[in-house]
Amino acid sequence: MAATAPDAKLERSSRTLFPAGPTQRRGEVLLLLGPCVLYLVAFSVYPLAVSLIRSFQEYDSRADSWTWIWFGNYQELFTSPEFWQTVEHTAVFTFGGVAIQVVLGTALALFFNQRLRGSAIVRAILILPMLLTPIVVGLMWRMLLNPEWGMLNWLAGQVGFHNVGWLSDPGTALRMLIVVDCWQWTPFVFIIVYARLQTLPQDVFEAAEVDGATWRQRTRYITLPLLAPAIVFAAVFRGIDAFRTFDLVYGLTNGGPVQATSTLSFEAFQNGFQYFRYGYASAIAYVMVLTAAIGITLLFKVVRVRREEFA
Amino acid sequence: MTRILGRVVSYVVLALIAVIGIAPFLYLLVISFKNRLDVLEVPPSLDFHWADISANYHTVIHDQKFPTFILNSIVVTGASTTIALLLGVPAAYAFSRLRFRGRDTWSSTILSFRFMPPVAVAIPIYLLVRQLGFLNSYLGLILPYVAFTLPLVVWIMIGFFDEIPREIDDAALVDGCTRASVLFRVMLPLVRPGIMVAATFGVIFIWNEFLVGLYIINSQERETIPIAASALLTVESPIDWNLAAVVGVLTTIPILIFSAFAQRYIVRGMTAGAVR
Repeated sequence: MAATAPDAKLERSSRTLFPAGPTQRRGEVLLLLGPCVLYLVAFSVYPLAVSLIRSFQEYDSRADSWTWIWFGNYQELFTSPEFWQTVEHTAVFTFGGVAIQVVLGTALALFFNQRLRGSAIVRAILILPMLLTPIVVGLMWRMLLNPEWGMLNWLAGQVGFHNVGWLSDPGTALRMLIVVDCWQWTPFVFIIVYARLQTLPQDVFEAAEVDGATWRQRTRYITLPLLAPAIVFAAVFRGIDAFRTFDLVYGLTNGGPVQATSTLSFEAFQNGFQYFRYGYASAIAYVMVLTAAIGITLLFKVVRVRREEFA
Repeated sequence: MTRILGRVVSYVVLALIAVIGIAPFLYLLVISFKNRLDVLEVPPSLDFHWADISANYHTVIHDQKFPTFILNSIVVTGASTTIALLLGVPAAYAFSRLRFRGRDTWSSTILSFRFMPPVAVAIPIYLLVRQLGFLNSYLGLILPYVAFTLPLVVWIMIGFFDEIPREIDDAALVDGCTRASVLFRVMLPLVRPGIMVAATFGVIFIWNEFLVGLYIINSQERETIPIAASALLTVESPIDWNLAAVVGVLTTIPILIFSAFAQRYIVRGMTAGAVR
């Protein structure tokens, strides 16, 4: 922010050299920003607006026609036990998964800070799961967890859990979904926290060590508080993404067994694309949009705070 | 002595982390090398037969048109990323440099699209693309993919433009450049790493997208890899696991090659919002 004063002065001096009126300035903004905004209006804002309208309508797939039923879809939604179960699954998946990822990711960051030989290679390996096509992630884990011949299932059998139907048992399927999400996304938290850890001034830690603070004390009272902003950022970011997860559910469990892993995204998808209940699906989607908006507001608060802190 | 012991434990943990990270990939590879019956053997033996391997890969590559899917993915990903950069970079520059009314509102609105649940727009986008007559075409995929990638590009590029001192723009403006030529002649070379980061993230996202594509494309000729893979690999379809694993391996190889080149950009992009 300190750059404002000289900058304003410069701008003023350049304006006296080249009198650039507000019209020309507006021209610049339109030229640079216009195409991007127009594009998003056509392919993001317009579809979102259509979704909102559709959420107040009912679609008749035989007649291919729409009828206004106003809050009918929402009413059906909020009184449907299936919807509330979906909400519960989504909440468990989002909060449970992100909590585990934050703890493990932070632990990994502290661990990698030892700079062991070979850790650069392991860091490169950890990036791979995030890049992988979610359908393939689902395939891999359906193989690993296969009750008859899956490798993980065999390993579990060695320690006494025989032939567990990890993905076919409604009690464990949601937990497996979280496990796989953690395999894929813990590295995300790790990378952000680790990057922050690298920017911390080393002399603080050295001073504490000289003063006789143990590793545990240094971590508890110095490192973690300094890492907190990065951890919060990673958690909120990951939370929003986990909340809208669709691909993994589709690839790993397809919402089953008996809807046990159906999340909001998946429920909206099924109603829309499989049952052709576009209106009802749009209502579910809009509940998601509003919830995501809360998360996004929270995220931007975090980002703005961090900008001021380091400016 | 305890120091050495601690070192040993650390290395064991490091090795364990590496195994957890990479084992699923290796397992996929192992299964892709087996014939249908040998898949059922646990733990899988590492005694592979070339005949099984070539039969599996031959089936997927020749009978299931995998090269077509790869080509489609490359065309769609390349075109969408390029268009998104062409639209997004100037916008990010405007947000970073120009002062205009509602700037922050505009930028956060655009950024918030990055987090929209895709299901919320999937149906209207499908209907829109159908209305425009672009079902089953590259353009039908490219149009929505650009929209999904734009917020990401803007988000990443604002950060990179912010890091370049404004004095550079001002000097060029005083020398008589227009805003557009400042951007294209002076700024673009300076933000090249940022463009690489933005392109990398665009590529990753588009390469893997399939929810919207699934319904826009319904002929094999135009399917991208994830769309084709989802048809072959989903829970509901009956599966030859060894062939499914081949599809998985062939889907993963381009990603591995890409990540070898793009790794530093990936790390920079992820930390762009968090660590300044």
